[in-house]
Amino acid sequence: MIELIGVSKRFGQTTAVDDISLRMAPGELSVLVGTSGCGKSTTLRMINRLIEHSDGEIHIDGQQIRGFREETLRRRMGYAIQSTGLFPHWTVARNIGLVPRLLKWPASRIHARVESLMTMLGLPMDEFADKMPRQLSGGQAQRVGVARALAADPDILLMDEPFGALDPITRETLQHELRELQARLQKTIVFVTHDMDEALRLADRLVVMDQGRIRQQGHPLALLREPADGFVASLLGGEDRGLKEAALLTVGERMMPLGAKPLPGERISRHATLREALSMMLWRHAERLVVIDDQGMAIGELSLRRLVGARSHE
Amino acid sequence: MSEATGILRGGARRRWLAPVLWAALLLGACLGMESLQGLFRLVEPDSRRVVYARADFLVLLGRHVFVVAVASLAAVALGVGAAVAVTRRAGRDFLPLVAQLASIGQTFPPVAVLALAVPVLGFGTLPIIVALLLYGLLPIVRNTLAGLEGIDPGVREAARGMGMTGGQLLRQVELPLAAPVILAGIRTSVTINIATAAIGATVGASNLGDPIISGIVNGNTAYVLQGALLIGLLALTVDSLFARLQPTLT
Repeated sequence: MIELIGVSKRFGQTTAVDDISLRMAPGELSVLVGTSGCGKSTTLRMINRLIEHSDGEIHIDGQQIRGFREETLRRRMGYAIQSTGLFPHWTVARNIGLVPRLLKWPASRIHARVESLMTMLGLPMDEFADKMPRQLSGGQAQRVGVARALAADPDILLMDEPFGALDPITRETLQHELRELQARLQKTIVFVTHDMDEALRLADRLVVMDQGRIRQQGHPLALLREPADGFVASLLGGEDRGLKEAALLTVGERMMPLGAKPLPGERISRHATLREALSMMLWRHAERLVVIDDQGMAIGELSLRRLVGARSHE
Repeated sequence: MSEATGILRGGARRRWLAPVLWAALLLGACLGMESLQGLFRLVEPDSRRVVYARADFLVLLGRHVFVVAVASLAAVALGVGAAVAVTRRAGRDFLPLVAQLASIGQTFPPVAVLALAVPVLGFGTLPIIVALLLYGLLPIVRNTLAGLEGIDPGVREAARGMGMTGGQLLRQVELPLAAPVILAGIRTSVTINIATAAIGATVGASNLGDPIISGIVNGNTAYVLQGALLIGLLALTVDSLFARLQPTLT
């Protein structure tokens, strides 16, 4: 649990972060989003004291972060950044084992931990353990960066635009993997990005920042449906908000049970998003789709009317 | 497997070839200068002696190496130390000052340092060590600064963010990454100082500069050539040693 209470940061005359209060619950993935210079990165870096806050209080599990030695505090949190910051003179395995080694774990435990992390992140030990960072692709290097951040099994993970420098396909893959990882590990993650699609895809809680203040925070769907003001609305995509919302809802939530005489038609997975369903309808000139489950069995149907129709939650 | 180690050993042996060869030539020249008498006679047909004999060449070589080694070790300690200090957060303010001082150290001719140092430190080995130390600082300071500043800021950020202390960051990350550049600076500094040390002979620090100074004073070109030859061979030996050392660190 991370709690910021009336936190500000001033650099000389300029105020980078202005009296913000935030609560990040355990197991929650919070995304700080905003234009560059809005204070989102500063906010993140105040949590592990790479930047000292000027005013207010920051608590980790109820304790003030100033009560810890800086190094002790940081070793309790994972930290992943856009440039990965892998040590170029260390092998992949040694890079991942950094924090456990700082914490003086026994060598056998470090080895076991590194191996399980590498397996978890799809980096086979035999192939990657002895590679140097320069031999990795961007996506692999970022996976190593995430593995290193997770190495000492911290409750908190701070991620500063970790996927910002990757190509769109790799980025999407890693976003997906992060969600799956999070479903299993239930860390408290603070994630900074300026990419709204990424923010919407990942966030349990979306925090929109502007000029050092929080404009609005809450569940991504809540923000999409009721943006607090024009700034939030335009940042969330303006006219595209309908599509962004559709990307957060799944076919399974909107489908109808199969009728008495099922009609043949294009098939779509129940896990697909409404946005994908709409795209398929446009592409195939189809007004209805057959929804299938993981085994490929038809379990329902989705009509265009139903897709765009009454929102069941309202 | 045994074949692979065999190749490795062969490779290692080949890399040591240059330093060993230069060192052998240097020692050979020190011990066998007398046998080159005929050659030097061609340069100096009228002199009574053509091979410098006031002191044993090996002794002069030993003193030369000693002076350069002491001055270089001090310059490395001082230069690397100062460059590290001014790249820490507490010492940032002194960075321009130290960079400038090191440059001034090199623009100041060693002869002038000697002239100033002798009245204070007296004749002998000490003033030349001071002169070499000042003269050799710049390449070391400059390269250490360049090596440290050249490190990807993301690496430093990650290291701090992971909870490394300042000392761990310096020892495990910054110095190893900057090592090749620092070593290149030390190499330049030592090589320059091997040549510069010869002027120590003018203030009574006996070394391989002795035959050169004596040759100039007595108008004996053969002596000058002998001193220059040995200093040149020493510089090549040490330089090839550094060349051997460098790739193992990158």
